[in-house]
Order: sequence, then C-alpha cells, then structure tokens
Amino acid sequence: MSDKKKRRRADSDSDSESQPFKHLLKSDDHILRILKSVASSSSSTSKSLTLADLSLSSTCREVSDLSLSSVQSAIETLVLQLTHQILSGQGFSFTVPSRSASNQLYVPELDRIVLKDKSTVRPFSHISSVRKTTITAKILSLIHQLCLKNIHVTKRDLFYTDVKLFQDQIQSDAVLDDVSCMLGCTRSSLNVIAAEKGVVVGRLIFSDNGDMIDCTKMGMGGKAIPPNIDRVGDMQSDALFILLVEKDAAYMRLAEDRFYNRFPCIIVTAKGQPDVATRLFLRKMKTELKLPVLALVDSDPYGLKILSVYGCGSKNMSYDSANLTTPDIKWLGIRPSDLDKYKIPEQCRLPMTEQDIKTGKDLLEEDFVKKNPGWVEELNLMVKTKQKAEIQALSSFGFQYLSDVYLPLKLQQQDWL
Amino acid sequence: MESESPIETKKGKSRTPKKAKESILKQKSPAEFFAENKNIAGFDNPGKCLYTTVRELVENALDSAESISELPVVDITIPNGCCREEIVKSKFNSMIGLVDRERVDEELYDDYETAKAREKRLAKEARALEMQAKNAALGKKVKEHVVPKSVKGRGEASFYRVTCKDNGRGMPHDDIPNMFGRDDLFNIHFNTCLHARYAVLSGTKYGLKQTRGKFGLGAKMALIWSKMSTGLPIEISSSMKGENYISFCRLDIDIHRNIPHIHLHEKRDNNDRWHGAEIQVVIEGNWTTYRSKILHYMRQMAVITPYAQFLFKFVTDTPDKNVTIKFARRTDVMPPVPVETKHHPSSVDILLIKRLIAETSKQTLLQFLQHEFVNIGKSLAERLIGEMGPEFSPKMAVKSLTDQQIVRIHQLFRQAKFDDPSGDCLSPAGEYNLRLGIIKELHPDMVATYSGSAQIFEGHPFIVEAGVSVGGKDVKQGLNIFRFANRIPLLFEQGGDVVTRTALKRITWNNYKINQTQDKIGVFVSIVSTKVPFKGTGKEYIGDDISEIASAVKSAIQQCCIQLKLKILKKMQAREQQERKRNLSKYIPDATNAVYDVLKEMAKLHASKKKRYEEGDADILQKVSDQLITEEALKEKLTQHVEKVDYEMALEYATQSGESEEPREDIYLESLDAKSNFFDFHGPIFVFRLFL
Repeated sequence: MSDKKKRRRADSDSDSESQPFKHLLKSDDHILRILKSVASSSSSTSKSLTLADLSLSSTCREVSDLSLSSVQSAIETLVLQLTHQILSGQGFSFTVPSRSASNQLYVPELDRIVLKDKSTVRPFSHISSVRKTTITAKILSLIHQLCLKNIHVTKRDLFYTDVKLFQDQIQSDAVLDDVSCMLGCTRSSLNVIAAEKGVVVGRLIFSDNGDMIDCTKMGMGGKAIPPNIDRVGDMQSDALFILLVEKDAAYMRLAEDRFYNRFPCIIVTAKGQPDVATRLFLRKMKTELKLPVLALVDSDPYGLKILSVYGCGSKNMSYDSANLTTPDIKWLGIRPSDLDKYKIPEQCRLPMTEQDIKTGKDLLEEDFVKKNPGWVEELNLMVKTKQKAEIQALSSFGFQYLSDVYLPLKLQQQDWL
Repeated sequence: MESESPIETKKGKSRTPKKAKESILKQKSPAEFFAENKNIAGFDNPGKCLYTTVRELVENALDSAESISELPVVDITIPNGCCREEIVKSKFNSMIGLVDRERVDEELYDDYETAKAREKRLAKEARALEMQAKNAALGKKVKEHVVPKSVKGRGEASFYRVTCKDNGRGMPHDDIPNMFGRDDLFNIHFNTCLHARYAVLSGTKYGLKQTRGKFGLGAKMALIWSKMSTGLPIEISSSMKGENYISFCRLDIDIHRNIPHIHLHEKRDNNDRWHGAEIQVVIEGNWTTYRSKILHYMRQMAVITPYAQFLFKFVTDTPDKNVTIKFARRTDVMPPVPVETKHHPSSVDILLIKRLIAETSKQTLLQFLQHEFVNIGKSLAERLIGEMGPEFSPKMAVKSLTDQQIVRIHQLFRQAKFDDPSGDCLSPAGEYNLRLGIIKELHPDMVATYSGSAQIFEGHPFIVEAGVSVGGKDVKQGLNIFRFANRIPLLFEQGGDVVTRTALKRITWNNYKINQTQDKIGVFVSIVSTKVPFKGTGKEYIGDDISEIASAVKSAIQQCCIQLKLKILKKMQAREQQERKRNLSKYIPDATNAVYDVLKEMAKLHASKKKRYEEGDADILQKVSDQLITEEALKEKLTQHVEKVDYEMALEYATQSGESEEPREDIYLESLDAKSNFFDFHGPIFVFRLFL
C-alpha cells in the first residue's frame, strides 16, 4: 500500500518535473472566461485611419484595387505614350516609383510603412536600365492580355512566357511589383497571383469561389489559403482569437492536438515569411471577425521581423500596405524573457551569430519596434543574452508541452505584448 | 635504407658503459635529435626530404650572395647533367662499394608478387588491352594507356645527387672542414630547440636578426640527412673573391662526435675568377611525388627574389622527364641586408636573459640594461632598477644576479611600457621587387601591390607586404595564394594560415569587382619579422590567432584590391563603351514587340468599336490598323535613337577621358658588360651606387 503511494507520488513528481509550471494552470473554463472578456473588448475597436485622414508633410503613394477595365485603360494610355515617344525618335522611358529603403516612411498613426513619392526614370537607351525597361514593357503587354481574356495566372506562369528575357523569376517578380506601383493598383488587380503557401485551420467557415469551407473539418493539414482574396467571402466564426504561427512544425502540433477545440480559435501559418495571400487573408479575418491576433514566433530577430511584416508591412510592398497589414498583432511568444521564465534548458538555446546580432540591433532602430516599449525591452534582452530559441525548444519538456501547458498558461496570464 | 642509421645508433648506445649513457642523456647529438624530429625539420618522407634539401641549399646560397651584396646566381642540378643521376640501387651500391647481391629467397622481399597477385595483374592488363583494342576499333581517341607501374617496394628508394652552386662569399680554404664538420652553434641550437620555445634562432649569438630559414641552421639538416640516408661524402668547392684557386674538399661528418673526416682537401685552378660555393650531397629522396612542390617552390622563390637568377635542372636517363627551368633576373635592386638588432625588453624570456647575462661583456646591471636591449636609455635603465626593489642597484655586478632577481627583472620587462622596436632592422622584399616578381613569373593582366608600415607583435617588429594580381598564365581560376615569411615561400599547411583564411573569409572580393570563383586571382603576402610566429610542427604556416598580424594582412590585401578596383572599373567602362550599342540593340526586338502587341490589340478594339479612344490616340490606332505604323517602323525608330545616343556618349567619353594611355612600367635590362666598376652602399631604405 505504502509502496503504491510512493510510486504514485513519484509519478506525479516526475510529471510536474517534465512539464514545469503545469501546476499554475487553472481550469480551461477559467481561461475561456478571460479570453471572452478580451475578445469582447477588442471587437469594439474604432474604425481604422487611412492615409487621407492624416495631413502628412510628405506626399505618399498608395495603390487601390482597380477594376480590370481600368487596369486595361491605364496600360493602354501608357503604351500610347510610349508609341508617341518612339515615333518622335526619343526612344522611350518609364517613370517607376522607387521602392528602395530610402523611399519608405513609417507612419506611427497608421502603424505601418508607406511609400513616399520618389520616382526613378527608366530609359531604354541606357545600358544600366535597358534590361529592366524591356522587361517592364513585356510585363505590361502580358498583363494587357490577361485583362482582355479576364483570367488569372501565377507569377510562375508569367515568368515562363519568356524565360530567355526574364532569366530568373526574381526579375519578373520585381518588375511585376514595379508595374502595380506604376499603374497605382494592387497586385491582385493585375490578375497575377502567387502559388498557395499559407494554411488555416480552426473555427472558421468561409466561402471559396462559392464553396463553403469549414476549417474544423479540413483534416490535419488544414485549408490552403486561396491565392486570390476576391473569391473569399462570408466569413463566420465562434473563435475567441486568431493564433498566428511562424512555423509549419508548431502549426502541425496545434492542428493535430485540435487546440482550437479546447480554446476556440483560428490557427494560421504562412510557413516563414508571409506571402501576399496570407497577409490579405489575415487582414480580412481581423476586420470582418474583429478578433485579437496573437503571434507565436521564434525567439530570434527573424521571428520579430516576420511579425512586423504581418503588422506593418514589408518594404518591398509598402505601396499596398493599406491592404496587406493587420494592425494590433500581439506578440505572445516565444519571447526572449520566456527562455528563463519557462526554464528552457541551455541545450535547446542557440547562440546568436554575428549576423543575428546585427539584425537584432538594426531592428532596434526601426520605428515599428520603437513604438512598442515592451518589444524594445525584449529585443534588448535578446541582443544582450545573445541567445535565441525556436518554438521547438519547448519540445524538450515533451512534444505536447506547447499545446498542453505553454499556450494555455500564456492565455491565462494574458501574457502578450 | 631510411631506418638503418637510427638502429645503428641504438646499438651503439647500448654497448657504451653506463657513465657514457648518462652523458648522452644530458646532451643529445644532432643526429639523434634529427632522427627523433625528422618531421619537424621537414624530412618526413623521401619526397619531402628531396624538397627540403633543395630549399635549404637554395636559401643558403641566397644568404651567401646577399651577405656580400652580390646579385645572386644560383644553379641547382639534380643531378649534374653529364651522367644519369637518379641513382638506382645497383649504382648506389657500387658507389659505396657494396657488391650487388642476387635475391635468393624471393618470397622474403616485400615486393614479391605471389602467384595469385600475378594472376590478378595479368587479368587486369589483358582487360586493359582489350579495352584499348576496342576503343581503337571504334576509332575513339584515347589517351596513351599508362603502362602499369612496377610495384615499388619500400626497400627500393631513389637516390639523388643534388648540387647547388652560388656566387656568394665562399669559404676560406682552411676553414672548410670545420665549417661543415664541426660547429659550435650546432649543439647550442639543438639544445635551445629542445629546452626553450626558441626555434627561430638567428645565426648570431647576441642579437636578433631577420633570417631566412625556419631553424636558422642553414643547410645542415640536408647534410645530416645525406649522411644518414646514404653515408656518401659531401663535396664542396669554394672560392672567395680575389682568390686565384678553388678549394675542393670531399669530407664526411662523424655526426656523433661532431668532427669532420677529410677524404680530400686540395686547391684547384680558378680560371673563370669564380667566387662562391658549390655543395654536392647525395641523398635518398623521391622526385615523382614532390616534383610539383619543388617546382612551385622555385617559382615562388623567383617571385619574391626577382633580383636573383635561378637555373634549375633535373636530368634523368629518359629525356622526356628532364626539367630545365631558368628563372631570369628582372631587377638589380636588392633589399638591404637585414641589420642585426638587440632584443626588445618585452620580447625576452627568463632563459634568454640568463644567456645574455652569461655572454655580456658589461659589468654592472645598469650597463647591461642599457647596452644589451633596444629602447632602454640610461635614464630609463635607472628608473627600471629603482622599480625592481631595494636589493637592486645600478652598480651591482650583473653576473651576480640570483635566479629570483632575474625572475623579477623578467616580470618588470613584461609589465613596464617600452617604446616599440623600430622596423629599420627588417628587410622586406619591397613593393617594387614584389611587383616585378609577380609580373615576371605570372604575367598577369593586372597587378597591385602594397607595403604596410612596421607593426609590433610581442616585442618583435613585423612588416606585411601584399600583392594581388588578376589573370596571367599558369594560374588557376579562383584564389591562388602565395605565402612568404622572411622572404621564403611557405608551401604546406595552407588551410590554417592567416593569409589563406583572410583571403578566403574576410575579403569581400565582390566589392572590388573581382569574381572569387571565375577570375584568376593571385594573392601574394610577404611577412618579415625578427621572429615569425610560425605554427605547426613543420613551421609551415602562420597562425590565424594573432590579431595584429591578421588585421595587417587584411588591410594590405584590401589596399591592393582598392587599387585594382579602379583599374577594373576603368576597363569595364571601356568595354561598356565598345559594347553599348550591341547591348542596347539586343533588346530592341523584345521591347518593340511588347509595345506593338498592345497596340495591335487596341487597334482591334478600336476597329470593332468596342472601346472609344480620344482623338490623337484614335489616329495612331487607325494607322496601326492601316499598316502605316508597323513593328518594323517602331524598330527602325528605336534603332536610330540608340545609334544617336551611342554616338553622343562615345563623344562624351572621349572628351572626358582624353587620350587613354596605359601607365608605363619600368623594365630592367641586364647589362651585357657585367664587369662595370661600381660600389654599392646599402642603407635601410636606399642603395647608393658609386661608379669608379
């Protein structure tokens, strides 16, 4: 009898040892009550500002969704201009808005990056720009065809129309962004889409091209986020929050453990750097469902960088940041302070490389980090300790520690920044 | 053969009485030291033995010529042309007077081929022949089939007679036997090698000097190796300037007792008024495995010593394997002879202080400090003595210092601040010579050189010089690294070397418009110092852990790259000028095609009245429909424009750059009349030539 008791105690001991802090967890009902109060408060946020609402000293460039026919007209106007130029014997040139780092502006009121109005001239008859100019003309003509035929193609399709000229997809992709900037429309308005990358699982029902999708019944992998957002609609959900996950591995864990059934939520990942479709989808969810967004990223500079791309936009596509960014994303974990707080063992932490530290220090200079004192503190801690950790570091306490203890505890304590 | 002599020594030892054994323990003979540390000295295997012998003789010859400020002329012959010299076993045996023995019990030998092995070999050869026949029948061109090499056993070694002739100082007739056979420094060197980490010793007793060679032993290792591997006597011819005879000496060293054994010592006629030395040794070695290393060594030596003339000859029975390379002289500017300098206080260790005390002629501590070290003046010496403690006084006899007191002096030397030693005592190759050396041996498209100022590491001054070349002949794509320490090439253990690592990892070649994988890049770094901090057993590389040297190397290479970048940019600009029109025209079809495609579609829409266009635009579209504006027309217009732009820019370029002219380069022409009468005064930074 006493033997048995001892063993049981030993068992429970080892259990709490292998999953530390489990004893701090309160009942799921308790946590749910907390979450409900958070969700109700976040849903009552005021209408978001637009660039026009602000009187900024420098003019900024923003694009909007254009109809197919207006895209067509814009291209035709441009081509006629070119024809005039060529026929008058002046060659021809494009005026392309610059997307370089010096032409970016972080607007704290909007909490996102916008593009300033600097432009560069791209003449055909200059050795350094002749290639890009030709590619630009080619892309324009291809988009014109898409407009006439009213079809969607992928960026890859576009590249394969003239591999010899484009040489490599990076070049055609870059010019594509230039073209949407030049025409003043979003990239989706050009009918060019990227391949599916992001996935979503959880308490979400929406229509994709007319078909109703229930994301709780999509199996373990979840539903791939449709590349063109305009065919997505009718979003419904009983979730209390949206969980944004950096990595595929953590997403798989949460999906398999059906985390969204224990705490009603929607889980999204773009498997690393987010693509346009995932960002558009997240924004749509946020604005239509009015749910708080919590982010689970690695505790390294790139984790925070990915978070910032969702939140404030990337420099490359800042011209469309109005449509691509999701305001008010909370940094749930893994934060540098969690490493010690959750006693993540040394062997699971990695030393930061020189490059990491440099990226971290650069981030500290960025306005979108500075505006959040909590983030600055965390990032300072990371740069000081020179340690990083992946979400998977939590697996050292068992594969399911993430869904069993870490996340519930975080939610219970409302531990996000 | 190789293992014979160590065994002999062991036997000899065991027979000696106990007392003698003790003394042997105390003092190792050079031969024993050598036998135990062959790898350190660079005699790990037959190939390397040949290589090390060649380099020791060459470096010895250069030192000799430079010591009398004579432009070196060095002839290396393996063997001396008249007879076949890759001596085979039978010949070697006859040379040492041994009768060839027929093998009786074939299976006793290592290279005996068992019946099974022979079967296998014959089958293989037959297969090869069959393949060859097949290929021949098919008309395929195949490389000449290599005849399978005869299996070489360990017992079969090759012997080489290596002769090195220079135009140096030569040796006094009577001193020759002792210079080779007996040498007081011999034991000192070996003992210090063993006891202290003081491997790079200068050849002098008191001071410190930049020297060639890694052990400061001259060619002595080669001599010991000759004695150990073949036992054949050494032949020396020598004549000093102004002597009308040549001293010839054939001798043998008793390396255990360290005395010469003279076979022949005579004076011969000197009809050519030659001066210098010619040393001939017969050693065991292997040419096949180290052929390329030896040739690389000679080539790199020619790069760093462009004022010397080298003639390298390798002669065998098979004429197609003979090698004769002449590295011609390219300049007559010789770096000054390195000046001997005293030790810097922060560089000495306790052992060295003791040695200096033992050898000094000064009486008092004050005089000792003042005269045996650099950068200690009288007042500083007095202050130092005051700081040492009450038991020290300026007047105390330096030889009476106790061990503890010496430790105290050493401590203070480590902690006190002294002025840095100056680099005046160093003799770098010089930017001019390095540049000419690179041009002469590599014929690069572009070259840049840089010479850094003297810097300090642990009390020893060092100077880093660098050259970077792009293109050239016999240069492989990517980085080709040439390392020099105290003006001798380093060929082995490249991976860990500070130069290799810097060039590979810390230079962003892209920034200088140099393609690290595609371009043929030559990186030359020469480091000179009174003590080169070698690493590794063979002292074949300089470690990457000394930040002073690493940063000096990096900045020297970068300086070269900056110079090159300007040249490369200029070249690219010039090329761009030539190819502008072609590059622009290349894109005309694609561009006009794209524009015209859209126009055509628009014209269709316009014609079918599906879309309305404004007046001027409608006009153009109408012309497109009517074939008045065609793709051809657009192309033509664009082509005209490109031609116009090209012409304007070419004009602008011409007015901007003016008459383009390649910078002129000094060339050196060797004077035909070599006997001109002049006298050179060598200073540390200049040579003053007085014509008589």
